[in-house]
Order: sequence, then structure tokens, then C-alpha cells
Amino acid sequence: MSLAAEASKWGATIKIAWSKYLAYKLNFLLQVLGPVLVFFFIRYNLWSAIYGLEGVKTLQGYNFSEMISYQVWVMIVGFIGLGFNGMNLAEDIRLGRISAYLIYPFGFWQFHASSFLAFQLIQLGVAGITLIAVSLAGWVEFTALNLLLGVLYCCCVALFWFQVNFLIGILAFWLEETWVMRVMMVTVSQFFSGALIPLEIFPAWLRQVLDYLPFPYLTWVPVKIFSGTYNQPLLPAFGLILLWSLIAWGCAQYVWQRGIKAYTGAGI
Amino acid sequence: MTAAILCQNLAKDFRHMHKEPGLSGSIKSFFVRNYERKPAVRDFELVIEPGEIVGLLGPNGAGKTTLMKMFTGIIVPSSGRLEVLGHVPHQREMAFRRKIALVMGQKSQLWWDIPAMDSFLLLQKYYEIPDTDFKRRLGTLTDLLDVDRLLKVHVRKLSLGERMKMELMASLLHQPEVVFLDEPTIGLDLVAQKNIRDFILAWQRDHRTTVILTSHYMADVDALCKRIVLVLAGGKRFDGPIREFESVLGKQKFVSVDFEGPVDRQLALWQGLDASWNEDSTHVELRIPEDQLRSTAAAILQQLPVTSLSMEKLPIERVMNELLVKPQLLADPQL
Repeated sequence: MSLAAEASKWGATIKIAWSKYLAYKLNFLLQVLGPVLVFFFIRYNLWSAIYGLEGVKTLQGYNFSEMISYQVWVMIVGFIGLGFNGMNLAEDIRLGRISAYLIYPFGFWQFHASSFLAFQLIQLGVAGITLIAVSLAGWVEFTALNLLLGVLYCCCVALFWFQVNFLIGILAFWLEETWVMRVMMVTVSQFFSGALIPLEIFPAWLRQVLDYLPFPYLTWVPVKIFSGTYNQPLLPAFGLILLWSLIAWGCAQYVWQRGIKAYTGAGI
Repeated sequence: MTAAILCQNLAKDFRHMHKEPGLSGSIKSFFVRNYERKPAVRDFELVIEPGEIVGLLGPNGAGKTTLMKMFTGIIVPSSGRLEVLGHVPHQREMAFRRKIALVMGQKSQLWWDIPAMDSFLLLQKYYEIPDTDFKRRLGTLTDLLDVDRLLKVHVRKLSLGERMKMELMASLLHQPEVVFLDEPTIGLDLVAQKNIRDFILAWQRDHRTTVILTSHYMADVDALCKRIVLVLAGGKRFDGPIREFESVLGKQKFVSVDFEGPVDRQLALWQGLDASWNEDSTHVELRIPEDQLRSTAAAILQQLPVTSLSMEKLPIERVMNELLVKPQLLADPQL
């Protein structure tokens, strides 16, 4: 199999995925603009209210503008790093739709990976536009190097989330519904990754525990890299997120091999 | 020459959960789940040579679709040997995937939200079809199926018949060696059914593609298949030329008789002949054992005001109906 042929399969799948996203205009706009709306209606107002309380000037070293800057970066990390591939995948399995992908000479994993890539590329564009807007508003400051490193780190985060979503999605081989697990995973990771509140606000013992888990690397670390306040060596940070991605990939491959044997192709 | 399909002792079991109806059953099944292993296919032996068109027949739940899923590598057999074009299907090698196609009448394989042409272009990349070949095949298929004006319409906007034409196109663009057609005409009107059948016949004739077909429409099977494999309760019960299919019911002839006026349905003459009457008792269809044919026909002609009497082979539809109603007719399980 030539590399060029494989690349053109990925390219064609990405194009199809874009066509599918664009087929439903409102859905597409909401998916893309959702996080921006959440930011303005919830996060900005919430932190304005907290810092508006009497006597609150800083929280663990974060003043209001630093907190808003932190939350903007959380949004950017979410755009580039978070994906939603698991939802379609579980449904494909449950309704027997993956049968078609098992017959095409392009793997199921590859199909979902390229669809995921298609969405993340759109999100990268949205992140870029948002970043230009918030920089013009003076909410964030960054250097070109930090921006590049941050985007690179977010790509690693995206890799991790893709594997985790794939893993949870293919549990549909055994479970009727996987959305509860997905919601739990997102909720837990939102909290422990620093997407809701910066990890500095957490007690020291909890932060030590979290160091051994993937969570801090999903939001807190990339936010710190973007804002230029990550004061630890970068290489281990990259190494750890890639290691967690590798572990998730290994688990997903193992579960896939087991699951495909249990697959009954229901509905055909 | 490698067989298109080779099965030896092929078997597949499925695990089913038993749940009592109602809320109490749901609560009980939450704590204790009762599973039962049920054989869907057992001891299946089959050899299909390249270029054959074979009809897999049987009632719902007989195991036809399970066989199709195993042949295409979608599910893994529980035991036995299975090779399709020399490949083990469930290993799903890319070389194997390029040689086969599956069309499911009840399930679209095209992307619902985009025009069929976009799906075809994607499949061109997946199957690595060179541009010139792709354009030529697309042109041929478009002409044969008369779908030029539909290529740029979103699949979800197509009628069932139009969609099925697109599904067939999608499955044939890479010129597979074996095509599996699972109920390709289901839900279509008579004209659309005939169009699809004519197309499959023409395509098969030109390309010598091996075609495995399942259909509940006996007209499909009659028009397309020279060979029939009957599947009942997961086992093979008949495998042979379609013209011999009626022999599964024993050596019998199908006789249809018209009368001048109504005749008595209670006559002893009709006993054991599986008589099927029209409403005003002026027409009857009978199944007469070959060794009684002369005597019975003579008696009918002598005793009743017959206007016409015709004898023909038992239509496949009627054989299937008989078998579904009275499976015990298949006396010899090794047939």
C-alpha cells in the first residue's frame, strides 16, 4: 500500500466529513460557537460576580484579568484539544452501521480518526479567529513561541481525547448506552484538569495526586504554556501527554480486538 | 481454481438475553441476567464456484443474513472453516475487502447527508480506482441505471428505488469479484424491482461476477438464480439447480384446472391433492404425485366439466410457501 494512496484516503474522508458538517448549517454553527457562548454567558459573568464580592481581589495569585485570561485560554484549549467523535461511534456500533466500514478497504479507526481530524481542523480555524478577537480586546497576551508550543501541546491533547473517546465509544460493543460514561469522563476531567478553576486553587495534596493522572495535562498545562507561565521543563510535559495517549491507544486497540469478535452486526 | 466460497462445518452461535416483560422483568434482569446460547448456523457445507449466481432462501431467522455477515467478514464464525476467494473473511485483509461488495436493501451504505456522487468519489479513493477507469465505469453504470440526473442529489432526498440504484453503483464501481445482495429489491414497486433485476443480470453476464442473493421475492430468485440453497433453522436443506427445487416436496406436478361452472369442493377426488380454489369454485390448483398423475387427470376430465387443464412445474413461490407452512415436508434432512 503506497503512502500516497493512504494519504488520499484520509484526504477524501476529511473532505466528506466537512461536507457532512456543512450539510446542517445551524448544527454546525452551534457546535462551533457553543463554547464561545458558554464563555460569555457563564464563565465571564461567574468570575465577574466572584471578583465583585467585597474583599476579593485575588484568588491564589489570580486577579480578575488574569482569571479571564486563564478562562480564555481554557476555551482555546477546548477548541483545539477536545473532540466529540465518541458519540457517532457508539451509535454506529449499536445500530450496526459499522458493518459498511468493516467492508471498505479503509479501517474503522482510520475513518473515525480522519473525521476527527476534519473537525479539529475546523476548530483550529475557529480558535485562530477567537484568539485574534480576544487579543484585540486585550484579554490575552502571548508570544509567537508560546502560541506555537501551546498549539502543538493541544494537538497532543486532541490525540489523547480521540483515543479516550474511541475507547468509550467502542464499549458499545457490550453496553447499550455509553453516553453516561462519556458525560462522567468529561465532567470529572473538566474539574480535575483545571478547566473550571485553576489547579492552584486546589489543595497541595490533591495536586500531587493529579500529577500521576492525565488530567492536569489536558487543560492546565497547555493553558500555562500558552500564557507563558509554565515554569517547569517542557519535554516531560509533552512526554507525559504522549505517554497517556499511547496508553489510551493501547487500551482502545485491545478493546477493539475483543469487541469486533463480539459484534453481531445487529439490524441487517 | 479457487472457489468463490468454501464452507466446511461452519457454525455460528449467538448469545441472547432473556427478559420477562414489564417493569418487574426489567428490575429482575438488572440483577440477574439469563443468557441462552442459540445456534444461528450449524454444520454448514457449501462450495460456490466463481461466476455463479446463487440464491440463499429461507424464512426470517433461518440464518441467511448470518451467513452473509460471515461471508463478508462482518462477524466471526464460532467454528468451522470459511474461505471466500481464498481469504479468511473475518481477518478482513485489505486485499479481500477490495474483491467483495455487500448491498443491503434495508441499510444504506451511502452517506445520507451528501449527494451520491460525493460518496462515489470517496469510494474511488478507498478502492484506489484510477481516474480513467472510474470515469468509464461511472459512465457505464449511470447509463445502465439511468441515474444521470440523480448523482448530485442528496441521498436522503432520493426515493427508495433511486437509492437502491445508487447503492448498487457504489458497490460495483470497484468491480468486485463477489457481490453479496441482501434483499436488494425490498420495498420496491414491481417496475423498480424488475429494473434492478435486469441490471444485475446484465452486469453479471458482462463481468462474470459471483453473486450471492437473499430475497423474499421469489421473482428475484426465479429471474436471477440458476442455483438455490435453502436454509432452514441454520442448516442447509437443499442445494441444487432451481429447476429441481420443487423436488424437495417430492415428485409432484402442479396442475391447474378451469371448469365451466362451480364444482363440488368436497369430492373425494380432491383429497390429498392440496387443492387451492378460487372464490366461485370454477378454478382449482392441485399438487399431484407423479405416479397418480394419469389416473387423477383422467378422473377429473371424465367426471367434471373441464374447460382447460394445464400442467406445469411447481412455481418456486409455491414451494417456498409450502415449506414455510409445513416444514415437516422436508422429510430427509440430508437432502
